Amino acid sequence: MTAIQTRWHVVLTFLKLSLFSIGGGNTLLQAYHHEVVDTFGWLTNRQFSDLYGLAEAAPGPSSMLVGLLGLGAGWKHGPIWALITAYSAEIAILLPSTVVMLIAAAYWNRWRDSPWRIAFERGLGPVTLGILFSVSVTVLKTANHSLIAYALSFMVCFFVLKTKISPLVFIGICGLAGVLGFVR
Amino acid sequence: MSDQSESVLQSEQADRPGLRELFVCMTQVAFSAFGGGMSLWSHRIIVERRQWMTSESFVTGLTVARLFPGPNQINMSVYIGSIFQGLPGSLAAVAGIILFPFTLLMLLGLLYFQFSAIAEVNRLLAGLAAAAAGMALSMGFKILEVYKTDYLALTIAVIVFVSLQIFRFHLIPVVLVAGPIAMSLYWPRGPRR
Repeated sequence: MTAIQTRWHVVLTFLKLSLFSIGGGNTLLQAYHHEVVDTFGWLTNRQFSDLYGLAEAAPGPSSMLVGLLGLGAGWKHGPIWALITAYSAEIAILLPSTVVMLIAAAYWNRWRDSPWRIAFERGLGPVTLGILFSVSVTVLKTANHSLIAYALSFMVCFFVLKTKISPLVFIGICGLAGVLGFVR
Repeated sequence: MSDQSESVLQSEQADRPGLRELFVCMTQVAFSAFGGGMSLWSHRIIVERRQWMTSESFVTGLTVARLFPGPNQINMSVYIGSIFQGLPGSLAAVAGIILFPFTLLMLLGLLYFQFSAIAEVNRLLAGLAAAAAGMALSMGFKILEVYKTDYLALTIAVIVFVSLQIFRFHLIPVVLVAGPIAMSLYWPRGPRR
């Protein structure tokens, strides 16, 4: 595949998925894996898991994983093409959904007194809560491959909720535990 | 649009953040959220520290952001930008949340592909992923707080969770079935509030 062909495959893959990323980007994790590892073979399974860790740990929205996947797809054509493919991939995954959200946000306040909107907001909150826990379980399973890793995740969750300690501290501790070889 | 935004926010905030403030604030949110858990951080910065919104309208925004397709944090930025400054506000907020973090991440990505043979790099990433997963989970519990005395809400949430995680139904049909049922259960009766 030439660099330009790769880029087109990347763009079309993520454009196609954009409007299906309901309930947050993580719901597409399986779909990304399927396309990037199984269908196109742009990345190995291990690379996919590593990039997930990197995207989650780095500052910014975790949906930037898509940029890293694009980077991996373009890597064999050199770093410049890798970057071009990465930016293209991110724009492709964000553009359709962002246009829809722009329209939704613009009209949301006009429907303020509509019973439809009130029911929508009150009723869908609990649905979202269920989705959120389900996505959390999927994330836990994707990120963690050992009991110690699970234990670390639950400890981070507990301390984030119960203390005012900066999450950066836990990131640091977990990163160190990883480097020392405790996690995998 | 601006008239309506104003009336919505009257009770919350007298002066609305401008485009630059939105960009700067969202950049701040993005860089604070080192290691995921970004909703947690945007709540801390936008509601607790800057007091641009009440916790209730923040949760509303988060709900809208989660309901529509797209990454939650990008959608949340669109929503926050939109209520304060309309379309330009949305663009400023989205640019703030993603521009610098994305560029930084791509540079880290290039380093990864250059040096991924190093075992320590892989181990570090495994540790970071574990921490990130814990932060993601904590957001669920944070939202659970809002509903902890609402048994109807908890029942709905449990049914949705079980459908997705145990029965492995796809998200779209689950939302299309559970959404309207939940809406009818929460349909406003009598005078509002």
